[in-house]
Amino acid sequence: MSTPIAYFLVVSAALFTIGTVGVMVRRNALVIFMSVELQLNGVNLALVAFSRLHGNLTGQVLTFFSMVVAAAEVVVGLAIIVYVFRRRRTANVDDLAVLRW
Amino acid sequence: MTEAVWLVPALPFLGFIVDLFAGRRLGRAAGWLATLSVAAAAVVAVGVGLDVLAHPAEERTTIVHLYDWIRVGAFSAAADLRVDQLSVLMILVVTIVGTLIHLYAIGYMEGDPRLGRFFAYLNLFVSFMLVLVLAENLLLLYVGWEGVGLCSYLLIGFWFDRPAAANAAKKAFVTTRIGDTFMLVGIALVFLRLGSLDFSVVLDPAIEAVQPSGVFTVIALLLFAGAIGKSAQVPLHVWLPDAMEGPTPVSALIHAATMVTAGVYLVVRTHLFFEISGVALVVVLVVGVVTALYAALSALGQDDIKRVLAYSTVSQLGFMFTAAGMRAYSVAMFMLAAHACYKALLFLSAGSVMHGTHELSDLKRMGGLRRRMPWTAGAAIAGALSLAGVIGLAGYVAKDEILAIASETGRTAVWVLGTLAALLSALYIGRWLFLTFFGDPRSEEAGRAHESPPVMLVPFLALAVGAVGLGVLMLDPETGLVPTFLEPVLGAVPHGDAGVEAAVLVVISQVVALGGLAVTWLVYASARVDWLALRLRLAPLPRFLGHGMYVDDLYARVLVAPAKAGSAILATVVDAGAVDGLVNAVGRLFQSLAGVGRRVQTGLVRTYALAFLLGALALLAYVGVRG
Repeated sequence: MSTPIAYFLVVSAALFTIGTVGVMVRRNALVIFMSVELQLNGVNLALVAFSRLHGNLTGQVLTFFSMVVAAAEVVVGLAIIVYVFRRRRTANVDDLAVLRW
Repeated sequence: MTEAVWLVPALPFLGFIVDLFAGRRLGRAAGWLATLSVAAAAVVAVGVGLDVLAHPAEERTTIVHLYDWIRVGAFSAAADLRVDQLSVLMILVVTIVGTLIHLYAIGYMEGDPRLGRFFAYLNLFVSFMLVLVLAENLLLLYVGWEGVGLCSYLLIGFWFDRPAAANAAKKAFVTTRIGDTFMLVGIALVFLRLGSLDFSVVLDPAIEAVQPSGVFTVIALLLFAGAIGKSAQVPLHVWLPDAMEGPTPVSALIHAATMVTAGVYLVVRTHLFFEISGVALVVVLVVGVVTALYAALSALGQDDIKRVLAYSTVSQLGFMFTAAGMRAYSVAMFMLAAHACYKALLFLSAGSVMHGTHELSDLKRMGGLRRRMPWTAGAAIAGALSLAGVIGLAGYVAKDEILAIASETGRTAVWVLGTLAALLSALYIGRWLFLTFFGDPRSEEAGRAHESPPVMLVPFLALAVGAVGLGVLMLDPETGLVPTFLEPVLGAVPHGDAGVEAAVLVVISQVVALGGLAVTWLVYASARVDWLALRLRLAPLPRFLGHGMYVDDLYARVLVAPAKAGSAILATVVDAGAVDGLVNAVGRLFQSLAGVGRRVQTGLVRTYALAFLLGALALLAYVGVRG
């Protein structure tokens, strides 16, 4: 017998929630970034679990897409963060509030 | 050969292109290239002329189709050239006189840093002028018409770093544009009412039945308004005297020999409209006589060597319109050709004087130049005698034929006023001649004057031959070469038996011409009259005439000043107040609205993340509620 779907969904929800809270409360751009990755992986886990439940591969294929996109996003995002850090000597997002009214 | 007529405007245009792009690199060669291109056009024009002559008199009109230019619905205008007796005469005058003046300009403009540009404009002018006279429809004619206006503007303002030249160019452009606007309306009316713009259609005598004669009156008057502007007739004559700010070859070519005669050409070409109307012909006659008299009077008061000639040109053009107003179209055309010769000659000699005296142009400071500039003086004497109307010379043949027709056909008032204008012509040109070349030098520059180089003197000879001898082409108005040549297109010269005997007319005209010259010789050259003292005693009169009877000042007060005041009101109250106010109010409205909305933008990443989260939750809740 396979593991009940609820176990996977609990872990997935936990990962997503940790990620969401991380994005909301942390100030370091790198940590926010890591939290976003946690959210993504939470969703990926749910996708794979449902894929297994339904017995087709659609969810798993979608997961590969989301991983590739995440990798690309990381490249761009990290590059921005590195650049911002070089110019401003900080990675604190609250200090980067110049684009406002 | 007739088929190659397109080469006539194309060759100067080619010269324009080359001089425009390579003028600076060509240096002096630019002038020779420009001269050669016009000379080549003259050769082609002569070939076309011979070809036309080889046909019998009734088959001399050829329409050379180049290509379809515009074809929209019922409207069509083709790039067609019309070769007939009238256009052949015009292209011969334009190309031959043009070549001579180009040649002269090589010497006159020597050393100018923008030589290539000058000759490019001059070539472009010749090209447009040839399009104007060769055009088969009114629209193509209008292209040439505006093109020569553009070149006139560019060349009057050629020395645009002088404010006077820049202003004169602007004035010429705007003033002629007033006439051109009427003319364009007239052309539109021709198409609306007569259904075509082609001369072969609208200038067919059968067109008379198409519309009531009132329509033709309106069309003729609108076209004539264009002619008034271009040919500097009263009341739009004010630009021509100021146009003398341009280089002298320009004054000779554009403002004496060719462009200003375009109005005469237009009236003569479309004379059918004027004849059907009848009223329009009277208007042409009145404007012509008034202008001839007014400008001759004003010329008498000018002190600038070129402004005398400018007013003289206006006056002579008035004579041409007088002839056209009396249906003596071929006489008008003959006078146009003769005037092109003797007035170009006078202008070129004036330019030679200025060239030899370091740009001296005040008649009061000249004198005695005939000793230092014999060739120039000879040219000026030939031109002046022809203009004054000394028997046998081209100017005499043209002007006295006009006066004779006025007398013969019972237009006594025209004859009297015309004779008066002729007397004034002899007076002003005598004054001009004697003040410049006779007596003793009245300034240092005049005393040290030097003769111009041969390249400037050669054109004198050719033009002097024309100014003196062109009369042989019209020895008799009925059997002369020019009238018989033009008769199939322009009709016979009208005749009557009213007025005095022909012999008496000749005597009167000679008394007028020689008498006028004698009086001016006595006053200005014989040293028997202290003309400077006389002038001081009469001060208000020379000033009145010198200002062209204050027409310019009148326009400045009555037209320009109210227009400026009106524009000031429009600019400050209407534009800055109402229009800008409205636009700014709309801008401020959205600015204040945005002032509220933009507070949302905090720039804090985490605020955005929160908004993002709340939005996602709201979306989720919505999906959940909907089931």
